[in-house]
Amino acid sequence: MAVLSDADRQQIWADFMASAGPLLESLFGMSKVDIRAAVNAADQWIDDNASSFNAAIPQPARGAMTAKQKARLLVWVVERRWRIQ
Amino acid sequence: MATVTHELHPEQAQFLSTAFPQYVKNLGTNFPVSGLAYDAASDEAAFWKFRATSYGSGNLTLTILWYADTASTNNVVWEAQLACITPDTDTQDVETDGLATLNFVQDTHLGTTGQRVHTCAITISNLDSIAANDIVWLRIARDANSTSATDDLAGDCVLLMAVLSYSDT
Repeated sequence: MAVLSDADRQQIWADFMASAGPLLESLFGMSKVDIRAAVNAADQWIDDNASSFNAAIPQPARGAMTAKQKARLLVWVVERRWRIQ
Repeated sequence: MATVTHELHPEQAQFLSTAFPQYVKNLGTNFPVSGLAYDAASDEAAFWKFRATSYGSGNLTLTILWYADTASTNNVVWEAQLACITPDTDTQDVETDGLATLNFVQDTHLGTTGQRVHTCAITISNLDSIAANDIVWLRIARDANSTSATDDLAGDCVLLMAVLSYSDT
């Protein structure tokens, strides 16, 4: 899978800023350009490391799960680790 | 010679069907803080209507009181535009009338406290031939996509209120 389109990255950038607020974390010290660069880097990192993540999943799960299921698994683990829900 | 002022509150604002700031009322520790939350990623606009009572001459000054929702640095760009109609004289269709060219100001967050209140002023020099007792529509927008100047302030900017002023002579 390639990296996300510019429009998709733009939407993530907008949603991320819109979701931030006093009840979550502040965006102190960052410009919109800084945040967009972070979005791009996160997407690029996922693209670069997708194969590594897949290889880290043991069999038989690796062979049984679809790509979407593996992505959903990663989301659940990341959310739990950083309590971001 | 005196200065005429119009206070423009978020509660009075009107919006088009898309690209409008969200009306927010944040319950502060001791009092509610209402405002219009302008998005950081896409341009949004709100509109006010008033009568240019006792307008004399000269540019209009639009003072904007705002605070950043989450940021404590960088710049926000505010834009203002007028549409003025002289009743019984101007013949254009009010529902299809256009806005004059925008004027803008870039204001920098002063830091220290994220949600401190800032003020800045736009000198509105594109007056759309305003005359005394015209009915006037004022558009206030955030230039989130940095068309007029660089708006790099992350997160929403909340407009607490605006004050429009002009001379009566």
